[in-house]
Parts: sequence; C-alpha cells; structure tokens
Amino acid sequence: METSFALTGKGYVIIAADTTAARSIVKMKVDEDKIKELGTHLLMAYSGEPGDTVQFAEYVERNIRLYQIRNLYPLRPPAAASWIRRSLAQSLRSRNPYSVNLLLGGYDQAENKPNLYWIDYLGSVVEVPFAAHGYGSYFALSLLDRYHDPEAPLEEGLATLKRCLDEVAKRLVVSPSKYMVKVVDKDGVREVEI
Amino acid sequence: MEYNGGSVIAMVGKDCVAIASDLRFGNQALGIASNFQRIFPVTDRTYVGLAGLGTDVTTLRERFRYRVNMYTIKEERDIEPQTFAHLVSSTLYEHRFGPYFVEPVIAGLENTSSGSKPFIAAADLIGCLNFAKDFVVAGTASSKLYGLAEGLWEPDLGPEDLFETISQTLLNGVDRDAFSGWGAVVHVITKDRVVTRTLKGRMD
Amino acid sequence: MASAEGGAYSYSLTVFSPSGKLVQIEHALAAVSQGTTSLGIKASNGIVIATEKKSSSILIDDSMIEKVAVVCPNIGIVYSGMGPDFRILIARARKSAQAYWKVYGEYPPTKVLTQEIATVMQQATQSGGVRPFGVSLLVAGWDIHRGPSLYQVDPSGSFWAWKASAIGKNMVNAKTFLEKRYNDDISLEDAIHTALLTLKEGFEGQMTEKTIEIGVVTVPTVEELQAETRGGGTGRPRPTFRKLSEEEVKDYLAL
Repeated sequence: METSFALTGKGYVIIAADTTAARSIVKMKVDEDKIKELGTHLLMAYSGEPGDTVQFAEYVERNIRLYQIRNLYPLRPPAAASWIRRSLAQSLRSRNPYSVNLLLGGYDQAENKPNLYWIDYLGSVVEVPFAAHGYGSYFALSLLDRYHDPEAPLEEGLATLKRCLDEVAKRLVVSPSKYMVKVVDKDGVREVEI
Repeated sequence: MEYNGGSVIAMVGKDCVAIASDLRFGNQALGIASNFQRIFPVTDRTYVGLAGLGTDVTTLRERFRYRVNMYTIKEERDIEPQTFAHLVSSTLYEHRFGPYFVEPVIAGLENTSSGSKPFIAAADLIGCLNFAKDFVVAGTASSKLYGLAEGLWEPDLGPEDLFETISQTLLNGVDRDAFSGWGAVVHVITKDRVVTRTLKGRMD
Repeated sequence: MASAEGGAYSYSLTVFSPSGKLVQIEHALAAVSQGTTSLGIKASNGIVIATEKKSSSILIDDSMIEKVAVVCPNIGIVYSGMGPDFRILIARARKSAQAYWKVYGEYPPTKVLTQEIATVMQQATQSGGVRPFGVSLLVAGWDIHRGPSLYQVDPSGSFWAWKASAIGKNMVNAKTFLEKRYNDDISLEDAIHTALLTLKEGFEGQMTEKTIEIGVVTVPTVEELQAETRGGGTGRPRPTFRKLSEEEVKDYLAL
C-alpha cells in the first residue's frame, strides 16, 4: 500500500515515497515518481486517490511556478504550505474534493533551515521534525520517535530512514517493494540511492 | 471532534483570566504532532482557543484574524472580548447547515468605565454562546475537564493561583483522554501583561 | 441638449467637466440649499439636532412628516433637501445598523454608521443609471468609544465631524450665527435654545411645536452604563438618542 516518509536533519529534509502505482489489488507500475520537485528547494510527496494525486500535484506545481515567474522569487516553504493548505481546505467543502495527502519538505534560503510540513486531504497542516502517511506511518513514527535527531548529518538521517523502510518491509503485510528517496538542502533538490 | 483531538479550557480569576489547551494533533488514535497551537491572540488582552478539526482550526483562525483586522482599521480601536464573542458566534452561524467543526473558547479582559473586568465565553460549532462566570471547557476532554474544574476552581483566584488551578485541571483532565495531551500551553491574562507558559505533559 | 449653465456635462452620468468639476454634484448641493434649514450643535453633555418643517399647504397633516429619524438606539439623523431621497437613505442606515448588530451584538459607533451612509451616497456619484442623492445629513450619536459625535454628510459622499453645523436654506447665515454663539462648554439645555434661536433667524412664519423637530443625544452616566445588561430584558440598550415630543418642543419654545 502507499506509504511516504520524511524527516529533517542538520540542514536538510529527506523525503521517501514508494514507487508503486496500483489499481485495486494489481500493481500497474513500479517506477512511479510520487515526489514532485516544486522548485529549486522544495519537494512534495503526494499520495491518495489515484487521479486526484497527479491532478492536484500538477496544479500546485504550476501555481508555485507561476508565483515565481510573476514575482521573480520563489514562495518560501511556510508560504507554500499555507497556499497548499488553503487549496485543500477550499476543495474539501466543494462538490468534489481532492483526496490527497502530502509531505512538503523545503529548505528555506532566507533562514537557512529545513522545513517539513505534514498535510492531509482535509487541509490540516502541522510543521514537524518527521512525518509519514499511509500504513507505514504506524510503524515508522514510533521508530522515528526513538531514533530521530534534528542535528544528525545526512548519512545518519538516511540510516534512520532505512530503519523505517526495513521495518515496514518486515512487518507490513502490504508493504511496497521500492522507494524513491529525495533530499533537499542548501544546494537544492536531488535524488539519492538507498 | 475526535478526528484530530484536542481540548481547551478558560477560567476567571480576580482581575485576571486564564486560557489553556493541550498541544496534541492526532489522526484518530495516531499522534502526529505535539506542537499544535490552538490558542491565538485576538488583541493584547483577548485570546481565542479553538478545539476541534485541525483544518477548521486553521481556517477559522485566519478568518477571525481577517475580520478582527478589518474591525480594528474601520473602528480605530481594539475589539472587546464580548464583541469578539458575538463576531465568533455570527461567523459560525453563517455556516449553520455545513458547519466548521470547532468549539471556540474566548477569554479576555473587558474595558469598562471602572477599569477592566474578566470575560470568558464558549460556543458550540454553530455559534451558540455560553457566557459563564467561572469556567468554560471544550474539546475531546471536555467532560473530564468539567469534573476537575468543578472540584478545583474557586472564586477570586490571583494570577499565580489561577495558573496552578487551570494547569492542574487541564493536565489531569487530558490524562484521562486518549485524544488530548502531549504537552500544554497556558496563558494568564492580567491588566498589564499576559504570561504564557508551555507545560510538559505525559507523552502517552 | 446643452443648457446654458451646465453644458453637456450636466446630464445623466456624473462626469467630470474639463475644469474638474462634477456638475451633477453641484446641482445636488443646490437642491440641498433649497431645502429647509437643519442644524446640529454638540454640547458638553450631549448633542441637539433640529430642523424646520414646512408644509406647502395647511391641509397637510404635518404630524405625519418626519425629518428627524431614529436609526438605532444611539444614533439619529436629520436632513435638508429632498424628502424621498432621505427615506431611502434612512432605510439603508437602519438596515446597516441592524446588520452590524447581528454580527457584533451591539449597535454601530456613530462614525462607522456615518461612513456606511457616506459610502452609499458616494456610490450614487459613480454608478450608471442613477443620480446623486439630493440631501445633506446631520448624523448625531453616542458611542462608548468616541462619546457624542456629530457628522455632516453631503451628496458627494464626503463627511466631516462638526462641533456645530447647519445645512439647507440659510446655512451660511445660520453657521455665522452658530460661530458667534458656540463655545466648548455649552450645556445641552443651552444648545437646544441656541438651536431654536438659530432657526428663528431665517424662519418664515410661526415657530411652533408643529413646525419644529428636535432630536437629542444624551450621554449616559457611569451608573446607567453599568446597569445596562445586554442579555436580560429586551436585550435592547437604553436609548441615548431620542426625539423630543411636541409637548417638550412646546416647552422649549415657551422659554
């Protein structure tokens, strides 16, 4: 089943999401990228109702881009989180709401610190040191409670993430087979192998 | 109300009022964050606490901020707690048949001809106001908070005693509730300042 | 089409003339200055607004004419100019006061209500298919924030606060008269007499309780304010604006 994780560390945010595109009980695809790069220093992992997810993610992506074109500077992570939240909250009380859950990770170049936001389809936003969506969250959050260190270097952060992925692989009946992992820090966004 | 959990309480003291809430934000039984602020300043001496669905807490906080800002500019004065309570009520009742899932609590000091007077109020999700003289509660632990407040509260508590009373009421109340807890924040509002303290709570 | 005085700019839409004037608004002001005189005086402990009411025929039942109107318990308005236009504005003002009450559980401060009316009047100078209102208003009210305040609103939608002002026919004379008579610590009683005296200056015919209308704002005492409970009783606050009855006007005229 769909699962995504994210954690912050010293000057970075790591976001991981599984790569399966499933329909009912069938895996249709195993190399789907579910982490959008919204800007040079902004990442968004999305999961939820198939169709809604891509549609909403692209809507966000285009609007964030539009902001940058209009203003010649990008939205900072807190502002982006706020804009996305409002879109979801408005959608929630519309005739057919998007059902998309998000993890928004970014590196704030003005304050030189990483930001991570847990956002659900209702439009709830919380800023957190680590977060997860999907069934994986029931396993990962307790591990992250134990092992997360906001001052950890990237290698350590990735090791903590690995613990989460391994735990989910070991204990979750419907565990995903592959993950895509992306990092955002002062140098921007990049994919990492794990 | 049980979806994200959370509780708020407000109490009247002698020339002071206190408002407090927990900090948990959950997804049903799963805890997501322990830093969710659900109490917001309205003016220097009025605060509002919003217990209920997380997304509506944020939405309403933004709406109230907008409406209070417009009021302040138009009327060239701060809004009084009682007037703000009516504003909250009418904002919620506008959505009578598709409500925001929140129970607001308002605490502040009223400006009167003879100095200031403590004011507290609470409302249900469609804006039915309850002006209490002693204390008001809201959220998933409200039933427990009622019991504790009924036992611990007494009239004319000074700011320090009021802080102790509201803190003990809240902390012990949320310990009996699975959806509230994970730390707390308390604001004690007096004539010339507001003291805000963050409390540690049980993390289970 | 083009008339002698206004030229092509005096019809239909309110349009700027090349010299930067809005001729339609000036015409509206002319309509106001043909209306009967009204005035307002702010005293140290209240406000008085008064007007002359004139009927074109003795057969008209003048007890039915209302030129001083209550908007809400703390605010009243008097006008000079066109009666029908005033009716529209007073209806709007009352509606606006009730809308404010529905949101905030109290009646609007004088300035907020004045602003609201001024907005309505301004809109008539910029909208298509309408003409400006042919009235000037004197808005008198009391609120806890600013105490007693007196405003004048003109057809253009501009408004000012006054210590004392007059509108309508003879307004220039009346204002000069008020300037001579006014001082900052005048009492409400004295202000009422000054108001009547000022009206008398330009009055045509007999000044009686039938041809004069007076409204007063009184400042509530601290005790009265504390006794005021919004929850209990009718939920209506004790009025701070009221119209004087014919008997009361008669008594003032007799003095």
